[in-house]
Amino acid sequence: MSKNGKGSGRTLSGLLDALGQPVIAVLISFLIGAVILFASGYNPLTAYGTMITGAFGKGFYLSSTLSRATPIIMGGLAVCIAWRSGYECMGGEGQMIFGAMVSALICYYMPGPGIVRILVAFAAACLVGALYCMFSGWLWHRFKVTFVISTLMLNYIANYVCSYLTLYVFRDPASTDINATQTGKLIESARIGRIDLPGLVNSLPDGLPFKEGLVKYFKGFNLHWGFVITVVLVILTWVLLKKTVFGYRSRMNGLNDRFALYGGVAPVKMLYVVMFLSGAAAALGGSFEVLGSKYRYVDQMIFSTGYAWSGMVAALLANFDPFGTMFASILLAALATGGAAMQRSAGIPIETVKMIEGVIMLLMSVKLLRLFAFRHKAKTTATADEKGGDEE
Amino acid sequence: MAETMFEMRHIKKMYGTLAANDDVSIRLDKGEILCIVGENGAGKSTIMKVLYGLEQPTAGEILVRGERVRFRTPSDAMAKGIGMVQQHFMLFEDLTVAENIVFKNEVRKGPFLDRKTTFETVRQLSEKYALKIDPKAKISDCQVGLRQRVEILKILYQNAEIIIFDEPSAVLTPLEVEGLLETMRNLAAAGKSIVLITHKLQEVMAVADRIYVMRLGKVVAERRKSETSADELAYLMVGHHPATRDIPAIAPGRPLLEVKDLCLENDGRDILKSVNLHVDAGEVVGIAGVSGNGQSELEACITGLTASTGGTVLLDGKDVTKATVHERRENGMAHISEDRFLWGGATEGMLYENALMAKEDKAPFSKHGFLNKRSISDYADDLMKRFKVKASSNTQKLHELSGGNAQKLITGREIMMNSPVLICCEPTRGIDIGAQEFIHDEILKKRENGDAVLLISSELTEIMTLSDRIYVLFEGKIAGEFKRGAIDEKSLGILMLGGKINE
Repeated sequence: MSKNGKGSGRTLSGLLDALGQPVIAVLISFLIGAVILFASGYNPLTAYGTMITGAFGKGFYLSSTLSRATPIIMGGLAVCIAWRSGYECMGGEGQMIFGAMVSALICYYMPGPGIVRILVAFAAACLVGALYCMFSGWLWHRFKVTFVISTLMLNYIANYVCSYLTLYVFRDPASTDINATQTGKLIESARIGRIDLPGLVNSLPDGLPFKEGLVKYFKGFNLHWGFVITVVLVILTWVLLKKTVFGYRSRMNGLNDRFALYGGVAPVKMLYVVMFLSGAAAALGGSFEVLGSKYRYVDQMIFSTGYAWSGMVAALLANFDPFGTMFASILLAALATGGAAMQRSAGIPIETVKMIEGVIMLLMSVKLLRLFAFRHKAKTTATADEKGGDEE
Repeated sequence: MAETMFEMRHIKKMYGTLAANDDVSIRLDKGEILCIVGENGAGKSTIMKVLYGLEQPTAGEILVRGERVRFRTPSDAMAKGIGMVQQHFMLFEDLTVAENIVFKNEVRKGPFLDRKTTFETVRQLSEKYALKIDPKAKISDCQVGLRQRVEILKILYQNAEIIIFDEPSAVLTPLEVEGLLETMRNLAAAGKSIVLITHKLQEVMAVADRIYVMRLGKVVAERRKSETSADELAYLMVGHHPATRDIPAIAPGRPLLEVKDLCLENDGRDILKSVNLHVDAGEVVGIAGVSGNGQSELEACITGLTASTGGTVLLDGKDVTKATVHERRENGMAHISEDRFLWGGATEGMLYENALMAKEDKAPFSKHGFLNKRSISDYADDLMKRFKVKASSNTQKLHELSGGNAQKLITGREIMMNSPVLICCEPTRGIDIGAQEFIHDEILKKRENGDAVLLISSELTEIMTLSDRIYVLFEGKIAGEFKRGAIDEKSLGILMLGGKINE
């Protein structure tokens, strides 16, 4: 039996497998969180109620959650692509920072219509992120510098280079606040547009029974198209990884690079293509964050929010399945927005939420499903030891 | 009547609905060498794992020196004087031989290891049982044979009276196997009782006192060595006599693989020294040699996994010396790798994924870069059916298969490439007689088909049986070339060890 159940080759159950892990990890974390909340004198049910309402309860909350999830998903996709191919890259943060910076500068300084600026910004962000990621690939290929070290260090470099640039070179000329280290604010047309869901709901024919509720729910909904592009990219990544020759080769490379080499996969090409795609994905996440949410690069904006790291957690939770990563990212984002609401309206310290997050990460590293799958153990042992397949 | 060391009565071991052992009763007497033989999956490893506390029996009882026991872990078994030499050694690479041997039972000086006493004890132990080792050598510098010796000493150091060997020769060179068999005889003479699990009948006939034959989870026969023969044992194991091969003569065609002056230098050492060989259409050419004489490197240089430092490799006249693995495969080379899990497959990959390798960009398996899952799955089923790979579905993972079944999948994949040239390395390593026969048949079919097969194997019998021509590889050089029947096993053995034969 495969450790995720035997049907992991089939798409639907494969998706369920990918989802099983985050769901169980999250449920257990919430249980532990409930105990902590209870011990601190809060009613866990009320607290969680507030949290869920704060994350999804109104159109506005939902859009905050999804907007926050956008860079996390992109960081997660970057990890899916790289780790699945066997390259344990942790450089999403650095790539995302450069992606954000480059997008902010291009959309601010470049002349021309907004849409052109945006498209150029996307392309440039992808390119810069890809090159930055390929650089750590090169360090590994040429000097055998392990990815963990090179990418972590490069994250710091990216962050501080951009700090310097924001502070001394591209500081917002319009800003009067001496403490505001940020680039200039983008003009309206150089931002990613909003999804007009409230308008769409309003234009529904009158008389539909649920129209009123929808209109009410989506009144404050305020989400940029970057999220939609991200969902499309999730689908494309899924297709790329699961349905193409490249996806097959990269997976084989990740499972056993010697086997891939033996079968004729060109290892160097694989390395750089994977690095390119992974870096581009992470950088695009930064781009969306700037062009869709912040409209400028603010010093430390990626570093302090930990989007790339949440993305990595999501991808690990989902075992590098793009859809699973997307759902896990939304969950993590919901935890943050809902947690803030919990603090606001119920006075429960945000640290409780941090604790729940911590437990999720802990459970993830324990690979919980393996423990739960003890039922399979007997059979696994059978095949591993006596290779039962030989018996008729 | 010798003292009975252990007795297992009516042992039954179920894995789910599968009976790995069914009513197995086995006895070991003091000072004897007991062999348990059977094909892969016959249940011989399971029964020993039950004895050693690695598995719990579903039913039945175990008596050690007349006392009823129940082992929950190997430490329990060890405490009763039962030790097992596993196929996969568990040694610390960076520690010395002596440190590995005393691990967990160290002689201490305060909180520290008493090195002097340790080295001395280990030296004495090694002399007592004539197991020559250097106590101060690092494990990472030791060859496989030596490592096995360390494992044996580790068990002896813990005062084991019963020593179980699980397929000990699978990892050894022929010379090392000789040494191992000698060791077993010495141990038995020193009063230890030995259980040897194997499917190699030459070894059984060389050392056994008594033999149990297992098939499909049951003991089907018990024999004293004096009253049986290798032929009878083989018959009992597989249920039929292995056919003697009748290989029709084929006039070889043009050379499909030519290797000219192939050299490989690594860290200043010459691994391959100007190797010349050719394999013609309709020919099986064997490379005989003791492992470690350049076979792996020759394989790697021919298939493109390693860049050679001199010489040329021609595929049907085309120079592929600088070509990538992919280009070589495109030009008609298939390759069964020496190590099925290191190179030949992805253990965590599903069977259909393993079956697809090197065909993923070919029709009908993909079109414009998109995989066609259905045809891949059909192909995998087809491959598994034709090569009798036993698995519940093609979405099983490779590591869930027995070694023999995994080997069949990999061999099958490369044979179904239908390539003019097949580089075939250790195609039957670690697999049972039935499957061996089958793979040999497939290799011979390729030959009849007019393809060229280069067979690199440490099994001399395999080389002798299948090859039209044999090259002997010794220290990276071709030490001789012979046509079928022009040399006997003994002379070949001398050449393999660097000797000269008088013509």
